[in-house]
Amino acid sequence: MDFLNTLLIGITSGSIYSLMAISMVLVWRSTRVVNFAQAGMALLSTYFGFEAVTKLGSFWIALPVAMIGGALFAALVEMILIRLLVKHSSSGPIAGVAPIIATLGLLGLIRASASMIWGGQDVRIIGPVSNDGFTINGTTLVFSPLKLLILITVIILMLILSIVFQKTNIGLALRASAYAPEIARLSGIKVDWVRTLGWALAGAAGAVAGMFQTVNGNGTLSPDSIEFSLLLVSGFIAAVIGGLDSLIGAVIGGLVLGLMISFVLMYISSGLFFIAPFVILLTVLFIRPQGIFGAKAARRA
Amino acid sequence: MHKKQTRDIFLFILGGVVLYFISGMVDELRVYQGASIAVYVIAISSIILLTGYSGQVSLGHGALMAVGAYAAAVARIELNLPIILCFVVAVLAAAIGGALLGAAAARLSGPYLAGTTLALAIGLPSLANQFSVLGGEQGLLFDVGFPPLSLGEEFTQYKWFFWIAGLGALISIWIVKNILGSRYGRTWRAIRGNEVAAQLSGINIARSKILAFTISAGIAGLAGALLSMTIGTVSPSAFPLALSFSLLTGAVISGITTLPGAMIGAVVLVAIPEVADVVAHRIGSSEAVTTNLPGFLVSALLILTVLFVPNGPVEQHRARKAKHLALKK
Repeated sequence: MDFLNTLLIGITSGSIYSLMAISMVLVWRSTRVVNFAQAGMALLSTYFGFEAVTKLGSFWIALPVAMIGGALFAALVEMILIRLLVKHSSSGPIAGVAPIIATLGLLGLIRASASMIWGGQDVRIIGPVSNDGFTINGTTLVFSPLKLLILITVIILMLILSIVFQKTNIGLALRASAYAPEIARLSGIKVDWVRTLGWALAGAAGAVAGMFQTVNGNGTLSPDSIEFSLLLVSGFIAAVIGGLDSLIGAVIGGLVLGLMISFVLMYISSGLFFIAPFVILLTVLFIRPQGIFGAKAARRA
Repeated sequence: MHKKQTRDIFLFILGGVVLYFISGMVDELRVYQGASIAVYVIAISSIILLTGYSGQVSLGHGALMAVGAYAAAVARIELNLPIILCFVVAVLAAAIGGALLGAAAARLSGPYLAGTTLALAIGLPSLANQFSVLGGEQGLLFDVGFPPLSLGEEFTQYKWFFWIAGLGALISIWIVKNILGSRYGRTWRAIRGNEVAAQLSGINIARSKILAFTISAGIAGLAGALLSMTIGTVSPSAFPLALSFSLLTGAVISGITTLPGAMIGAVVLVAIPEVADVVAHRIGSSEAVTTNLPGFLVSALLILTVLFVPNGPVEQHRARKAKHLALKK
């Protein structure tokens, strides 16, 4: 029974990490920037969601509000910060580290601002269904209706995203701009706008991850909470395990990470909460420095 | 070359004498802040060596500082070593940690490396809770003892800290400066400029990168031990992720390739909480704003620097002057 519990918890939290990883991959593919502020943006969108829940009273209205808020904010960041960055800091010794430093600065800015605005109050988001475990044959599982709902929603979102990417013109433009920006531009794709769109999609995906991470935890939301530190690290690690360039890699990376953490905590020690992801990351990178699904050349890009 | 070195040694000694007189004139709080500035100068110079010269990003230098601090404290408590040896132990322990991390880092580049070190910065301090010898959440006491009596009755504890930290800073800057001017410094710059070209000229890329990481980590370890000396204890909470970020901010503000700029970055890092305090009182804001204003200012400054003076104020000034001269001709 322990095994089943651990497995189901791992899959649920893994699916949230997958979403976070997908948003990292979307940004990386569109602008070649690893967005360390992604978790910060997810945090901000979750606060938007919280405002919507308190004003409108329904989780299912708040979720799209958070997604739209997150998408708009991400698009703004791309249009203002990232475009300026490409213009000013693309030469000299700083060029290699400028995007990393700028997005870290953004992360700090968002965290500090969120603490200033919402820090004084008790921010709580109640999930749409109960988080009490299912009961089978008299034993109560940790797996709950809420976790099932999270899992289903994440799967649906991923299906929608893969259909958009594979079957629509927008998806084609996104893939073309990531693959060969010059050629895409020559064939009439507005690469700048496609990049902004990539960021917006990432912002929306991050918003869902933030909302679910909050209700899947104890429901409280704070910029300094463990949940968000975990989202920051896990999203990145899951994306890297998957190879940064691959959406399927991100999904699998997230699930692998979720399961591994869950099993380590269950069967080895609960004190290894933060060090476990690091060990998993190092192990994967030692075997395949470009991630499981990454192309060999992507590592140097 | 020889003449220049004599001049440099003279300058460093002069710097020490000036610091000595300043420490006699200001109050306790300023002396304490002076010690913090010295610690930051050391830590920032380690980042400049690693990121500015060898081109590797580390978001985990807070964790390496923690390694140094814990090593020094354990050496002090368990082995009762004299204080100077504790600092040596700190440097060695952090350097070994850095060598291990560097071996992993040499295989990674850019964002992969940044993320790995980020995971380390979050993971490593929490590991201290796993071992009882490291004192868990409370941490360990790290006591360097009272200042020697020969310095007089008036000589305060903080002044003693400032002396030790200041001396540490002078020595570290001296060492880093010489390493950067040596063959290794040039090798690292070659790698940063063009890895393939460096490899073609016979440079062993992996070994050079690991060396850079090892040296940088050793210096960070010294900074960590000195930091915990000024606080008096070593605990996981003294080395949060925010510390690693501040160091990177300090290095960027200093100018990522300008070693003398480390002073600018260190002063800014110590000054920002003070400035934030004044601003918060002036506008009479709530507690949530007051506690988060320093973080806000540091981040804002980081973004503005990257966007508008990406290579640091000193470098920017130099570039402008060069351009001016070129126009005159």
